[in-house]
Amino acid sequence: MLGKRKRQTKAISGSEVRSSRSDSSASDVDAPEIFRRHFETQFTPLPNIEKPAVVEEELEEEDESESESAWGGISEEDQNAIEVVEHADVHTRMAAVSKEELKSFMSSKPPTSAPPISIVRNPSATTVDGDDASEAANLKKDLALHRLLTESHLLDSANSSTAMGKNRHKATDLRLQALGAKSSIFKQEKMPMSERKGIIAKQTQREKARRDEARQNGIILEKVKMKSKMESGKRDRGVGAPGVGKFSGGTLRLSKKDIADIEGPRRGSNGRGGRGGGRGRGKRGK
Amino acid sequence: MSTSTPEFLKFTTHSFFTQRLVLSTLTGRPIHISQIHSSPTNPGLAPHEISFLRLLDSVTNGSSLQISYTGTTLTYSPGLITGGIAAGVSDVVKCTLPDTCRRGVSWFILPLCMLAPFSKGPVNARFEGEGVITSATESGDVSVDTVRTAVLPLYEKFGIPGAKMEIRVLQRSCAGSGGKGGGGIVEVRFGAQVRLPKTLHMHRRPGRVKKVRGVAYATGVSASNNGRMIHAARSVLNALVSDVHIAAQYDQAPLVPDKTNPSAKKRTGVGFGVCLVAESGVDGVVYSADLAAPSEGGVTPEEIGKKAAWQLLEAIERGGCVSSVGVGTVLLLMAMGSEDVGRIRLGRDVVGSEAAIGLGRDLKKFGASCWGLRDCEGDETGDLIVSVKGVGIGNVGRKIV
Repeated sequence: MLGKRKRQTKAISGSEVRSSRSDSSASDVDAPEIFRRHFETQFTPLPNIEKPAVVEEELEEEDESESESAWGGISEEDQNAIEVVEHADVHTRMAAVSKEELKSFMSSKPPTSAPPISIVRNPSATTVDGDDASEAANLKKDLALHRLLTESHLLDSANSSTAMGKNRHKATDLRLQALGAKSSIFKQEKMPMSERKGIIAKQTQREKARRDEARQNGIILEKVKMKSKMESGKRDRGVGAPGVGKFSGGTLRLSKKDIADIEGPRRGSNGRGGRGGGRGRGKRGK
Repeated sequence: MSTSTPEFLKFTTHSFFTQRLVLSTLTGRPIHISQIHSSPTNPGLAPHEISFLRLLDSVTNGSSLQISYTGTTLTYSPGLITGGIAAGVSDVVKCTLPDTCRRGVSWFILPLCMLAPFSKGPVNARFEGEGVITSATESGDVSVDTVRTAVLPLYEKFGIPGAKMEIRVLQRSCAGSGGKGGGGIVEVRFGAQVRLPKTLHMHRRPGRVKKVRGVAYATGVSASNNGRMIHAARSVLNALVSDVHIAAQYDQAPLVPDKTNPSAKKRTGVGFGVCLVAESGVDGVVYSADLAAPSEGGVTPEEIGKKAAWQLLEAIERGGCVSSVGVGTVLLLMAMGSEDVGRIRLGRDVVGSEAAIGLGRDLKKFGASCWGLRDCEGDETGDLIVSVKGVGIGNVGRKIV
């Protein structure tokens, strides 16, 4: 669209130039001009190329006949300057907001105050200058060396090609545990209880055998890790939360055990007698 | 609360109707309102007020209402806010608004959201029927977009998480012919209940406006209206803020059953409008503006967009940390908070508005402590710092004794 307009303005100004020229200097037109005009009446207008010559000519001419030319006020340069009309619409700038932000704004939830994490990173931010680059490379090498040192024991069995994948997984497991993973990725989550029991029994038995052997040989081993008591004990309830039952969805749910705890042991007659009495009454009602 | 000696608080006229009912429900004090719309031509409770009473009845348990024969007096003794027991398969309380309703659905949603944090269970309500107007209305109600983007974020400052609230606009609608009725469907889900709202301290500078967001909506009219409104609004705002973005939302007009022909349906609630929200660099400070075309038409989208932008600029000029749209919510939540003094910086005109003064008077009548007002020192904005002491009642349903 823009290109079309430009072309139009160019064409108009060109024709204007030519017409004005024909008005003013009809007396002393040179031969190429006549040819040119002839050609243009027959065919399409020619592109303007011999500007400097024309300008000189016009300047010379202006000295002679300044009064008669009404168009002389407008200089040649102004006429030839292409008027560019640019219609800059706001629609071009509309895409300033990312799609994720727009989506989150138009969702049914209230917009969050936290700035959204943009997935697309600024490419300029990742470029680093000279010594920073070397620093980064050094860090990388350090990391590689560290990994080699910590995981080198896995390489002992890495001769066979099948062990490569296993070793990779083992290395991943080691790294995860170093980062603080709760359990190993090799731990199977679901399995029959009997199998699990067997595995645990075998582990403890193996450990016990190792310790026995070490003691007999006079080797001092590491201390046995004590299991923390916190895990099996009561869990910590928050401040202000109810001391009994389970609170969810605005309701406090009390299990039968909770109710029994609150009520405490029955006084007077023993529980059996009371229940029996209740049953008896029911039967009598029938 | 002993029900043996009900001490009714007496009020007159229909002004601050929802606010008084909300305060009554939250504090547990019964109220008596007389002279409701006491003009001789059309006396008694208006359709939207009746609808609100129905809604209140369905989200509470044990509340009782008595309306006089003419509808000019009302006695309300509140019950416990339970969030309502949903009927049937859906888990929402349905609130059907009649086609004579002139108020926007935000008139219902704002007080419902004030009650919701103090409810026993989650409050899920669905507004439907031939009277649901989701757009801004001429009676001064804001659009649902403003409620969602400018009022609900304020709850976060009170420790009420925004992740658990939702306003789903299933069908948009502007005001129908004569400003009556719509046909929209709006679902409000408020699952964030608290024991006591946190004490609010927003007495610092409100910061500068960093970005402007908004929604332009056109319902049942050409979608190009959106673009024209956005263009006009941006022509005002672009010079002032670099980060302006207004989303366009086009919907079909809602179908409602035709009264004259029972088998046929007709489209209603045609119109367009725009909602703008300016966010400050300080967390939680928002200003909003809202404007929709009047139901009789005759205004260009350019005019609406430009006026909305000016309205936004006016809201920003009034200053303070909370604009007049959210001031009622914020002051009420502060008053319902723990027995601690919270402070908030408000623009002088925001405090001086009829709504804020009315709220202060009503709160005093309901037994809350008065506000402390003082001038903001250190700058020449003329803002006020309002100190509000909470009553410490909070959520009765969540109280574990």
